[in-house]
Amino acid sequence: MSATMQSTPELREQISQRKKAAPRRLPVPALVIAVILLMLLGWQTLVWLHLLPTMTPGVLEVFSAIIALVVSPAFWMSLWQSVSAAFTGWIIACVLAIVVGMLVGSNSFARQSTSVLLDFGRSFPTLALIPVVILLLGTSQQMKIIMVVLACFWPVVIQTVQGSKRIDPLVIDVARTYRTPPSLMFFRVRLPSALPFIATGVRISAAMAILVAVGVEVLSQAPGLGRQITLAQQGQNWDIAFANLFFAGLFGWAVTLLLAKAERRLLRWNRLGDE
Amino acid sequence: MTSQTTAGAPPRKPAATRPGNSRQITKFIRWAFTHFWLVIVAFAAWWFLSAGSTNIFVPPLSRILEVLWRDLMNGVILGHIGYTLTNLALGLSIALIVGILGGILIGERAVVRETSEPIIHFIRSIPQAALVPLVIGAFGIGMGPKVMTIALACVWPILLNTIDGVRAVDATARSMSRVYRIPKTLYFRRVVLSSALPQILAGVRVSLAIGVTVMVVAELFGADRGLGYYILNSSATFKIAESWGGALLVGLIGYLLNLAFLAFESVTLRWYFASGSK
Repeated sequence: MSATMQSTPELREQISQRKKAAPRRLPVPALVIAVILLMLLGWQTLVWLHLLPTMTPGVLEVFSAIIALVVSPAFWMSLWQSVSAAFTGWIIACVLAIVVGMLVGSNSFARQSTSVLLDFGRSFPTLALIPVVILLLGTSQQMKIIMVVLACFWPVVIQTVQGSKRIDPLVIDVARTYRTPPSLMFFRVRLPSALPFIATGVRISAAMAILVAVGVEVLSQAPGLGRQITLAQQGQNWDIAFANLFFAGLFGWAVTLLLAKAERRLLRWNRLGDE
Repeated sequence: MTSQTTAGAPPRKPAATRPGNSRQITKFIRWAFTHFWLVIVAFAAWWFLSAGSTNIFVPPLSRILEVLWRDLMNGVILGHIGYTLTNLALGLSIALIVGILGGILIGERAVVRETSEPIIHFIRSIPQAALVPLVIGAFGIGMGPKVMTIALACVWPILLNTIDGVRAVDATARSMSRVYRIPKTLYFRRVVLSSALPQILAGVRVSLAIGVTVMVVAELFGADRGLGYYILNSSATFKIAESWGGALLVGLIGYLLNLAFLAFESVTLRWYFASGSK
């Protein structure tokens, strides 16, 4: 086997030539913006060609509606109503679910007993209960919060049970050998071990919280973004409806992004073992 | 070591050596008991706690089940169930086709994938329930708009999961397909699709749940048939027990659909689970 030894300057020459020869790609953010602009252009074209239903607003109309919303205090009020209901319900559901989930998850008999009920609750479309709940509780912020709690409880509790199930029995044995007091056992051993799964459940339920809050508003006309969208649609103000929809989506997207970032930071210790 | 038995009585065989049927039956009974005792207790508790209810908005469970049975038997609900499930099936089928095809096309090329993912994530974050007034307001309360709303809401999890699944196809398998000049259709069907199937089915499971919710919301918002309409109509005409019954039925259907899908998944992905992957 002949060894083809090349001197360092020659190697450097080859590498730089290869870099120049490779096609340069546009950075991804630029591409994303380009695609979005193309999509908006396509939308506007479809509107001009009257290929969409006549009431569909053009891009400029939606933009001006968005700006009009941003400066109107009524919009921020309805945004606050939706967001606060979603947030309150989400927090309550997470606390309840983590407590219940950790209790259930640490005992295999409890897990087996509750598995059917948890599965049923998870697949139950909470919004189907709205006509009944309106009869019982009326159309108020409290009713919204309760619906959000009912909906967000299940993903978190199921993920918590999964998380607490997975703790290494060896770790439990070692902690017991050192006669760890129960409170320390829970907070320093069981809970951190289950935290990655809990974090996933919390993230899923955050998205569900906003969805359920807006859904409740759409169906029950409780004040908030969902109600604004319905009102705008009924008054044939499609540009305002789309603008509200845009903000609802923007908010949900931002929340999911923030939670994912927070999860990456806080659970960095979890991934250190993988590398 | 010899075991003592009472004089004259035949020794009782230890459990592990009893004939298989009897052991399996005991195992099944124990499994059924541990999994269902709480359900039965909860059901009984609901029954007895609501039996003496004086609040007209909280009818006794016996009454709810009674009207549910009556309406099932006289065919009223069956028609609604059929309508609802048909919409769901159509909407999900459209979402499946668009999601899987789109996911395969987008997932194959890294550039396309990186460009579309932020956009898809944004559109997916729009609360699906907010789409309902817009679509139904624009297109009316017929069957088409409902199918469209369900498809629109359900396509995103399938799309995103297909993209992930396609992206995760083994690079070696890809290269081998190129080396052996495997035709594109066969490549997509046997290499890409089979490899991505676990991910895709996980996405379909999420879409199923979303589909049930959106379907109910769409029918609650504006419909003249369907389970959601049945619930709304009952509550509007103060047939409280019927609306509770309808809500229960919707929950039951969601649960059964989920179970059926899990069964389907375990059969289709038998090779995947058997290999020990999670």
